[in-house]
Amino acid sequence: MDPLWLAQSKYRRRKYQECVEICTENLHRNPYDESFWYLKCRALTAIDWLDDIELDDDTLGDQLLDENAIAQMPRPGTSMNRPATGMSTAAGQLRTRTGRPVSSTGRPVSGFARPTSSALRQGTSLERALGTAGGRRMMTARPVTGSGRYVRLGTASMLEHCGDSFIDSDKIDIRKYAKKPGLARALGDYMLYVDHNPKRALELCSHSTKLTDYRDWWWKERLGKCYYQLGMFRDAEKQFLSSQKNCCTVLATLDLCKVYMKMDQPLKALEAFEKSLEKHKHSISLILGMSRCHDSVNNIEEALTLYKQVVQLEPSNVEALACLANDHFYNDQPEIALRYYRRLLQMGVNNAEIWNNVALCCFYSSQYDMTIHCFEKALALAVDEGMADVWYNVGHIAIAIGDIGLAYQAFKIAVSVDANHAESYNNLGVLELKRGSFEQARSNFQVAERIAPHLHEPKYNSALIAFDAGDYEESVEMANNSLEAFPEHEDSKDLLQQLDKILSLL
Amino acid sequence: MTSKAGPSCYSGDNSWERSYKHVRDNHKIHLEYTNREFETCLQHIEEVLDANEGLAEYPLYVKALIRRRQGKIQESLQLFQKATALNPSNVLNLKQVGRSLMLLGKYRSSMEVLTEAKRMNPDDWEVWHDEGICNAKARNYEKAVECFKKANAIHPHDTTYLALGGVFSAMNKHKKAVKVYLDGLKASPGNPELLMSCGLAYLRSDENYKAFEMLLKALSIDPKNPSTILATCSMIQEHADLDTALLKYRVAAVVNPSSSQLWNNVGMCFYGKQKYIASIACLKRALAIDPFDWIVNYNLGLVHLSTGQHASAFHFMSSSINLKPEYPSSYMYLAVILSKLEDIENAKAAYNKALSLKSNYLFELNYAITLYSFDMLEESLAHFRRFEELFRDQSRDAGADPDILEQRRVLANAHGIDLD
Repeated sequence: MDPLWLAQSKYRRRKYQECVEICTENLHRNPYDESFWYLKCRALTAIDWLDDIELDDDTLGDQLLDENAIAQMPRPGTSMNRPATGMSTAAGQLRTRTGRPVSSTGRPVSGFARPTSSALRQGTSLERALGTAGGRRMMTARPVTGSGRYVRLGTASMLEHCGDSFIDSDKIDIRKYAKKPGLARALGDYMLYVDHNPKRALELCSHSTKLTDYRDWWWKERLGKCYYQLGMFRDAEKQFLSSQKNCCTVLATLDLCKVYMKMDQPLKALEAFEKSLEKHKHSISLILGMSRCHDSVNNIEEALTLYKQVVQLEPSNVEALACLANDHFYNDQPEIALRYYRRLLQMGVNNAEIWNNVALCCFYSSQYDMTIHCFEKALALAVDEGMADVWYNVGHIAIAIGDIGLAYQAFKIAVSVDANHAESYNNLGVLELKRGSFEQARSNFQVAERIAPHLHEPKYNSALIAFDAGDYEESVEMANNSLEAFPEHEDSKDLLQQLDKILSLL
Repeated sequence: MTSKAGPSCYSGDNSWERSYKHVRDNHKIHLEYTNREFETCLQHIEEVLDANEGLAEYPLYVKALIRRRQGKIQESLQLFQKATALNPSNVLNLKQVGRSLMLLGKYRSSMEVLTEAKRMNPDDWEVWHDEGICNAKARNYEKAVECFKKANAIHPHDTTYLALGGVFSAMNKHKKAVKVYLDGLKASPGNPELLMSCGLAYLRSDENYKAFEMLLKALSIDPKNPSTILATCSMIQEHADLDTALLKYRVAAVVNPSSSQLWNNVGMCFYGKQKYIASIACLKRALAIDPFDWIVNYNLGLVHLSTGQHASAFHFMSSSINLKPEYPSSYMYLAVILSKLEDIENAKAAYNKALSLKSNYLFELNYAITLYSFDMLEESLAHFRRFEELFRDQSRDAGADPDILEQRRVLANAHGIDLD
């Protein structure tokens, strides 16, 4: 059998490792066989390929050394650092943070865990950034520098022995390869995805672009990618824009918007999305990207209409379904949320979170018999972090049926599974308060506060305790802290007003 | 804020020039403080303190006041103590030290300082008032009452009346509290807080009409106070004027949207108007705000019973009982719900529990009806007889609910008993 044909067939059947082996053997015999070289290059790239469109997690290094900030005090709604919290519409007001859990960034959680949802936006103080990455919340720690981002976990160990020996990108003659368009493209991808050498890739790309008279959208797009990996966002933006001018592709748009998001310009990203949507009316990636954009500036209404569009186009889109379900749940429509979650279950998404959500929906739509079963299933499927959340919810159900003892135990278990579950500590504090043990309650609130400085509840509770105990100094401090974490918290404001009244008496 | 002449500053130096400068500085500080220009005032104070090596009483005093307003009570306390060290004969300083200690929650040491101040100036109402508050906070109610009365004897003040009334309320002596508030109202008839507290005290001592009058007066002066609105509306609601109550709740909801009681009452207004869906929505919101409130659970149980969702009704009623096991009516409703779910054994247990907590003709009547509908005629008759006894005793002084009379007639017919 012709080895080249066999290798091609293996490649097409996605048996990349076997394909690489055949190619290596043949290249050993004839190192200048371009067809084998090309195939091996493609196969290696395919092994290490990763969809970097979705991957735009801000790393710690980027955040602390961010030089791309545009304005220090952006207007509300124009920046992810300062999302519009309270919306002016009547419906919007009900959707402010009070009713919803918040992520560590202080933004209402969406129904879908995305790379960016763990990113740290508000208050990029060094202390806090290190605090979150440095192991307090082990589960959500992010890579510290950018190099960690482009390595897929499963392939990290294989990287060494299959990558370096093939092509040494620092020594290769770039001009020679640039003249052969087919090989050059394979090589470009190899440099970006296997070798992680954006500098050399950049050289190759710029040569190739020059040779194609600056007309090839593909090379420009790759050029933009190189710039992006090097952290030169303005140059990347230029390349993506010009790539779009040559040929308006979805890929270039997504890349472009990624750059805009990185530069904290969600409105510009939205503009780009809209422009591209005129050409590609039914592109799900574009619509999803847009709704994420809206989400990031807390424009939930808009995001939801877009998610609905996505579901119409692709009824099995997990992200859109999950977000819609989440929103219906927090809008007091658990029955409808339940339908979405059931759909997700039917599609084969089977994890602790889904069962947990189903259980909650069942409970709030008065289907009590199902609730416990679903929680049992969730607990059976749960791994550590999820487990704490499930127990936390069990605790809430226990409160709702008035079984304070069970609630106490559930929160205790949540805390024992995940010692950093601040919400559970806070609730334990409240239960202790109900029992009348102030000291215990106070220490619980303090723990919650230390673990999760973004939660306003433990701070407000501490303030209340201090107020009741007559320690007004601590109360003022805590109420101010609470307002820092959540500037629109009415109860904290009330408390401060009361305190001010007392303190301003002569 | 009332401005008050602070202690003047005496320096050891007798030269006219220097003391004149002190007076001018102090005057400027006083002006800035009373104009609430705290930042400039603090700067000025720092300058003066630097010039005098920290030995200037009035600037220290004002700085302490500003620090307290900013919530830094510990620092403020230290400054007041410094001022006292400079001029131990000034009662004002000592009083502020006492107040600072009180604000930090250190009541015992605060009282010691206040006793010292009393020794220097026994006729100062503020010292007595502060000591009363310390005693009230430390739960020495008897002593607190004494202190407040002395303070009022020297110089009556609204705040003292309010505090004294509060102490009486905490001791569950609502009649006395009413008297105190009325005395206070004689001096200042237009104080909405006094009016409201008086109304609430009337309400607690079961004088509903007078309470209503007071609350309305308070509302006419301060129409947006959420707690006044809540109290007034709950009374309007009791007299079945639901639309008026709803109208007023709307005002309160804008001011304080996160009040569980408010949503509970709104929910019950809708229940009275038989708009069950709206009622459930409001009650659920109340429950989301305060999940530990038994009465919201109780009300939700009632509403679900009316809508015929007995399983949900059972769930809420049992939550309510879990949270407050000593309320007899919950058991009665639980029994009714259980009988609707056709669990007669548990229903009987629930009725018995309710009756063991309190003997009530309504419980007996419902018990009898339930037993009758499950064909337990003899037991039903026994309970109906007991109902008759209790009912005849009680219905003489109060007009009976027509619904009860109707049920009574039906059941009597069924048992073949001739009423009257």
